[in-house]
Amino acid sequence: MPTRHFPLVFMINFSALSKRYGPLEAVRELTFQVEPGEVYALLGPNGAGKTTALRCLATLLKPSSGSAYVCGVDVSVDPLGARRRIAFLSSSMGLYQRLSAKELVTYFGRLHGLKGVVLSRRVDEMVELFAIGDFSGRLCGKLSTGQRQRVSLARALVHDPPVLILDEPTLGLDVLSGRTIHDFIVQERGRGKTILLSTHQMEEVDLLADRVGIMRRGELVAEGSPTELVQRLGAPNLARAFLALMSDWALVPGTGQA
Amino acid sequence: MTSAWWVVFRKELRETLRDRRTLFVMIAVPVLLYPVLLIGAEQLFLFGARNLEGETSPVAVVGDPPTTLLDLVDASETLVLTAVPGDLVEAIRSDVVTAVAVVGVANDPDGTREVTLLFDAASDRSQRGRAQLSSVVGAWRDTVLVRRLRDRGLPATFALPVALADSSIARPADMGGYTLGRILPLLLVMMTVLGAFYPAIDLAAGEKERGTLETLLTAPVPAGAIVAGKFATVALIGVIAAGLNLGSMLLTFQTGALQVTQAIGLDVSMPLAAVALIFLTLVPLAVLFGAVFLGLAVRSGSFKEAQNALTPVYILALFPAMLPIFPGIDFSPLLAATPVAGVAFFFRDLMSGDASWGLGGLVLASTTVYAGLALVFAARAFGSERVLFGGDETADVPSERWTSRWFKRAASDRVPSREAALAFVAAIAVLFFFGGIRLQIAYGETGLLAAEWLLLFVPALLFVGVGRYDPRGTLSLRAPRTGHLLAGLLLIAGALPMIWLIGWLQSFVLPIPYELLEGLEELVTAQSWGRFFWLILILAVTPAFCEEIVFRGVLLGGTRTLDPWRIIALNGLVFGAFHLSFETVIRFLPTALLGALIAWAVWRTGSIWVGMLMHFLNNATIVVLTSLPAMREFLSDPEAPPPLWLVPVGALVLGLGMVLLDRSATFEVEQTAHAVRGP
Ligand SMILES: Nc1ncnc2c1ncn2[C@@H]1O[C@H](COP(=O)(O)OP(=O)(O)OP(=O)(O)O)[C@@H](O)[C@H]1O
Ligand SMILES: [Mg+2]
Repeated sequence: MPTRHFPLVFMINFSALSKRYGPLEAVRELTFQVEPGEVYALLGPNGAGKTTALRCLATLLKPSSGSAYVCGVDVSVDPLGARRRIAFLSSSMGLYQRLSAKELVTYFGRLHGLKGVVLSRRVDEMVELFAIGDFSGRLCGKLSTGQRQRVSLARALVHDPPVLILDEPTLGLDVLSGRTIHDFIVQERGRGKTILLSTHQMEEVDLLADRVGIMRRGELVAEGSPTELVQRLGAPNLARAFLALMSDWALVPGTGQA
Repeated sequence: MTSAWWVVFRKELRETLRDRRTLFVMIAVPVLLYPVLLIGAEQLFLFGARNLEGETSPVAVVGDPPTTLLDLVDASETLVLTAVPGDLVEAIRSDVVTAVAVVGVANDPDGTREVTLLFDAASDRSQRGRAQLSSVVGAWRDTVLVRRLRDRGLPATFALPVALADSSIARPADMGGYTLGRILPLLLVMMTVLGAFYPAIDLAAGEKERGTLETLLTAPVPAGAIVAGKFATVALIGVIAAGLNLGSMLLTFQTGALQVTQAIGLDVSMPLAAVALIFLTLVPLAVLFGAVFLGLAVRSGSFKEAQNALTPVYILALFPAMLPIFPGIDFSPLLAATPVAGVAFFFRDLMSGDASWGLGGLVLASTTVYAGLALVFAARAFGSERVLFGGDETADVPSERWTSRWFKRAASDRVPSREAALAFVAAIAVLFFFGGIRLQIAYGETGLLAAEWLLLFVPALLFVGVGRYDPRGTLSLRAPRTGHLLAGLLLIAGALPMIWLIGWLQSFVLPIPYELLEGLEELVTAQSWGRFFWLILILAVTPAFCEEIVFRGVLLGGTRTLDPWRIIALNGLVFGAFHLSFETVIRFLPTALLGALIAWAVWRTGSIWVGMLMHFLNNATIVVLTSLPAMREFLSDPEAPPPLWLVPVGALVLGLGMVLLDRSATFEVEQTAHAVRGP
């Protein structure tokens, strides 16, 4: 393994985090760190435990053992403090059907303690940033998937946190809307934000990620920059590397059983 | 900093008030319900007062009738004097007249004149004509008697040493308005609780289902604040619903905007202080159910699941609220401390103007305590990630697995075709008609028992066995859920009064044959416990098994491919027709309706056990009622209408049963899926 220079403070730090649902161990001894300004992609097949790991980080689930830190804050010890430092975009994109786009963003601004002029200015910024203006008065239940995704992002970022957690941010979007999200991620990275995202899409990883963590059955099976991974596994591209990793794993006797 | 719960509350309230369903339950229903109810009560009252004897009968008077008699017949509003040219008997048979008075010749002015009334005892029309003619002849006899007495200088009372008269103390008010007044507390409780129903589901389970809970919980707000905000919304909606219902109710009944309130003797004039007090007790009630519903809804994964969880609670909550409907229950401290019942009784007493302040305080205090407990229940759910993100341990039920495997091995999933099922039922009907009646004549009640088991139950099992059909699918042998059985119980409890009402309404069209009035009573009257259990065995347990397995088993199983309403209508019709073999035509409609209701329940749940329970409950109730001495007297007149208070209660319970069954049953959805998949 090539030696790496670790900065003193990680923006995101998973330390031997495990999460079980009854008998099922969805995440097992997960350990990795994300540096400031880095885009880190979690890659893995369905059911690998990506969402579970992200939810633990976002304080939605309590880790069964181990811990996770956001900006040095232990999410189990100070969940509210952790929540103030993150923007969480869930893959379900849940929006309140009977609130307008603007009302929704305002609501989350209020929940984050913003008010008065600061709140309205911030909401206007978000409306502009995500080009919501055209439909800011329309009820969220009536928006298209792409529009909903933009409102979701505005909702998640209204309190301007340093860390972004995006669970499959381009799920169900067309190429154009997906591009908008990609541009947004690049832009936020440029503004110094730390981004942890999960995805199934190799192009997304190639395009955006500084580093990739590949998960399988709750465990991190490989980690590194996309080029590193491709080299290490001797594959022509990341997709092949990923497939190799998955099938290789399945061939090792005794590991297929959960 | 603005409190987080306040932020949540304002948003939830805004969103809830944009929900059409909530608005409908909260505003449209109360605005419409009470006027409609009042008009309905009035109609029922007017209908009940209609005079059955008011119909006219054509009659003839022949022989040597004096003009005084003819004048009386002419003057009678119920009789139409008709000339009969030819044969008297033929005239009655062909319905030209209903009855004929053949008046003999008066030989002696002080003697007796013979009057013979010709009529057809087999015709109800003729019987009624005879009765009406008889009373006119009786009146004429009295005038002759009075004249004879006067001629001799005696007073008219000479021949009437004793005057005996019946006088019913029932006022018209006892029928319509009074009952309605007793139902109002139930309605108010019902609507208040209903007001909290949908908002609770929407704010908890709905939020989970749409995935918004996940984003909400990433906001730096303690779970307690979220619960508090949501709960405040649900409770407030309940309180608003209560207020609107109370307002609409008072406007309808108290302002006298509709004159009928006086006509049917309904008087709900309450002082303003009493209205305020009722409202005050409804607030903790709304709080209580807001919290209970929220706590349950948040534990459910989806809207549908939450409805299934909340509906039985809602129904159970209404039972205590029904208590004030029954006369003779005094408001006691125990009742005051009973959830829901306290509020309902307090309302009843406030309406009648003799409420106790002490008990009112107790109601307020106890309901507040319950509301607090319910709030803890709700709050705990929001602290638990298991509840919020569902630790879906799909618990395997070994016994169910085992039975399904066993049946799969035993048979294919073949069910009888429509033709096969109908042919089987037709064959069995013929068999029962000839064999069963004979057994019954020869061996009496034992014969009936044997006929049911040997001619219905055994053939049904043979049919399934010989045909190598899948017993589970053919006979709907799915195990029922508690919700199904509870729904079956409610359906029958509600259907009994409705069927009674229908039978009574039908009696205007199809009169009850006189010979039936005594015969039926004899059969189902138990004088001893032994006899009682025997009657339950032959009249309730046996039909529940034997008739269900034929009609809701084979017939329903074989017709499942039809449209739902066809399946149910066909089942009811065949069930009704089958009973023609040992009952009279007047029972057809009630029996068919009962059959259709049970068929629906079994079709919807896929469980014949629900049908057996319903059939048993229906028949057993009748045996119990006719065996109680007090009831026997009450029921001895089969032409009597059901007590009016029973009708709305029955309709309500029936409706609740339907809702519960509809909510808790998922079977037909699977069936449809199966039908789409299968050829
Ligand atoms: N609430 C829960 N209760 C029980 N098991 C769960 C729960 N949530 C997830 N799981 C299980 O945990 C495992 C990991 O699920 P997770 O959603 O984290 O995977 P994922 O990598 O996000 O998959 P996908 O790519 O499909 O989104 C799966 O086997 C899943 O069935
Ligand atoms: Mg996922």
